[in-house]
Amino acid sequence: MRRWPAIKRYMLRHPGVARLGVVIVLFVIWEIAARWFIDPLFMSPPSSVLVSLPQMFEISGVPGALRITFWELAVAFAMSVAIGLAVGLAVGLQPFSRRSFMPIVLLLYGTPQVTILPLFILFFGIGPASKIAFGVSHGIFPIIVTIVAGVQNLKPILLTSAKSMGANRWQAFRYVIFPHMIPSFFTGMRLGMTGVLLGVLLAELYVSTAGIGYFTTLFTQNFEPDNLLGLIATLAAMAIILNELVRRAENHFARWRD
Amino acid sequence: MLGNGKRDAASAGSRAVQVAFLVGLLLLWYVATNYWGVSHLLLPEPVQVFWQFVDIIKTGEYIDDLKVTLGELATAFAVSCTTGVTLGYLISRSQYLIRVFEPLFAGIYAIPIILFLPLYVLMFGLGPMSKVALGTTISFFPIVLSTIAGFGYVERTYIVSARSMGASEYQLFRYVLLPAALPVILTGMRMGFTVALLSIIGSETIASLAGLGHRIVHLAEGMDMARMFAYIAFVVAIAAILNTVVSSLEAGGRRR
Amino acid sequence: MTGEVAIRVRDVSHHFGEEDDARHVRALLDTSIDVARGELLCLIGPSGCGKSTLLNVVGGLLEPTTGTVEVAGKPVRGPMPADIAYVFQENALFPWNTVFENVMLGMLFQGVPKAERDDRARRSLEAVGLAEFSDHYPAQLSGGMRQRAALARALSLETGILLMDEPFGALDEQTRMILGEDLSVLLSRTDKAIVFVTHSLGEAVFLADRVAVFSARPGTIKQVISVDEPHPRNPEFVTSAKFTALRNQLYSLLHDEIRKAMSESAMRGGAGHRGSVAGDSA
Repeated sequence: MRRWPAIKRYMLRHPGVARLGVVIVLFVIWEIAARWFIDPLFMSPPSSVLVSLPQMFEISGVPGALRITFWELAVAFAMSVAIGLAVGLAVGLQPFSRRSFMPIVLLLYGTPQVTILPLFILFFGIGPASKIAFGVSHGIFPIIVTIVAGVQNLKPILLTSAKSMGANRWQAFRYVIFPHMIPSFFTGMRLGMTGVLLGVLLAELYVSTAGIGYFTTLFTQNFEPDNLLGLIATLAAMAIILNELVRRAENHFARWRD
Repeated sequence: MLGNGKRDAASAGSRAVQVAFLVGLLLLWYVATNYWGVSHLLLPEPVQVFWQFVDIIKTGEYIDDLKVTLGELATAFAVSCTTGVTLGYLISRSQYLIRVFEPLFAGIYAIPIILFLPLYVLMFGLGPMSKVALGTTISFFPIVLSTIAGFGYVERTYIVSARSMGASEYQLFRYVLLPAALPVILTGMRMGFTVALLSIIGSETIASLAGLGHRIVHLAEGMDMARMFAYIAFVVAIAAILNTVVSSLEAGGRRR
Repeated sequence: MTGEVAIRVRDVSHHFGEEDDARHVRALLDTSIDVARGELLCLIGPSGCGKSTLLNVVGGLLEPTTGTVEVAGKPVRGPMPADIAYVFQENALFPWNTVFENVMLGMLFQGVPKAERDDRARRSLEAVGLAEFSDHYPAQLSGGMRQRAALARALSLETGILLMDEPFGALDEQTRMILGEDLSVLLSRTDKAIVFVTHSLGEAVFLADRVAVFSARPGTIKQVISVDEPHPRNPEFVTSAKFTALRNQLYSLLHDEIRKAMSESAMRGGAGHRGSVAGDSA
């Protein structure tokens, strides 16, 4: 018992360790609850999910569906960035177009796009095209909005200063507007990634006859919580990795902003 | 430097561009469906959509679905506000707890919470319960994070100056912490409300027995395009009204 | 003074806004002055008297409504980066570039070859005492060091003219004094023509060869006072009787103008006009 104060002091100095402790406690509660208190038809303990993960990957079609989802995310993200950047610059670089089109962008951004999810499937089919399109529709708006904001909040003195040193229009863009925009561009990409993940996964879950949605529906109807949780955890891991990649890139390219 | 007159002219110009854009879009829709032979199975005719919309309002057919969706939304939002604010306040009392829990919540929030839906459907079934669970989960995070931020990062000077004037614990809470935190918490609540609404309509779209999202899918499966478009417009309008109400409540709460 | 005229300002007036606009402001009225090579001219006056406007007109950032400005014998019609370098009041360093890259950029804009850029950047950073901080980002420097870096950037352009718009305005008193002393040393080694806008009486007397005192709106030069003291100036100069006398003379000239400007702006409902290009504060 004399060791307690030392452990306590260590925990107090390292909140990260305590955070890990909280996560472990949550998993233990989950394990105990699922093992002894909840009907195994509806819930599995994490240990059994982990053990049955290899079997889940052997179910015919699951690895393919995961691979396709990953490609949908990548393509939707790339398209969102390209379109978002182009539209963001077109709208943001000139005050008139900004005043004219920004309210329209915000109006579209504010409408709940899930209402038109069935339309995307009707138009683009149940394959990857509809999921990519729906992901893009969620990904471009945060990118446009942050790029416009980024272009807008440039301190005028920096442009004046560049002009006074003889910068031409191209140089003003290349050495002032563009580097100024980089951090908001990466912030936009991070928010865009969140949007793309939401859009693609919504569409994947909606289509119950193919892809991820087929398997989540199948596992739910057959009461296979092991497989369902394994599939969800794999997708969550995919999302975390993609988010983390974009976040690291943001920190790297915005290191002067402190 | 723009003079007053020039600035007014410029904003009138922007207004004109906006109106032209929206009118142009409607016109394009009308012409495409009436003259260019775009299939009405893909894109219904706008006038028809309009009359369907009128019909939905007149017959009151929407009421049952609206009740289901709003009920789910109200329950989810009430639960996430209660738990989020309580938990957030308790955590905010200690800098240590903030450092333990804030990154944890932020980390979980970065996962697309929509992934929980299949699990909730398995656990709670296709009824409203799974939607409430998803809406609660997704709106909990912005609310708890903003409560922590609101109460946890109050300017030290305010607290010190209140204490120097002899404020009691209760007075400190009532006159310093609460007014300082309220605007931040209200913003979190507005964000939570928006994502709860989205996720509930989304989960009704994906797997449900009733509700506005379910109605849209039902019409889509029956290829009743004009009525489906009218329902989409209806849901977008409801969402716009709800978001406007919540935003103005937020603005009102900030001003006090 | 060595005589040769570097800047010639003749009957310059500048108005903001249209003639009939309620916010029409005559910022500068019929102002004429010459600045010689090797001379430092301070512009001092109440807020809104047009001293920054004059600076921006000289620098080609603002076009005068009437009158002419000549720099190195050529009429000014826009920025003349080959002849004129600027130091602004606000931090105008690019935050995404290191100090060294910031200094390099100005020369890059003017097409100076790479090797020479490198050399000139190193020398000018050395001159302002920032050689060790070349690879720091502006956010990592103090306010005083940032203005040193801005000065290094201006020096590296090797222009005949340097325009400084309250360069030390945002700094604390001690930092200001030290920077002023260092600037005086630096300038004693060049024959640049310098125009320096300031609010500080002491700074004006300490740095200037001549001080132009502005009157309140419409702004124009009311009187020019000579400070007959060789550069570089010692810190002892500040405590001399000559310094005190000049400072007092400036104070009495300015006092009435500042009162006048304040009561006028109170009558205008305190509607200060924001209109010039370079974050004007005058």
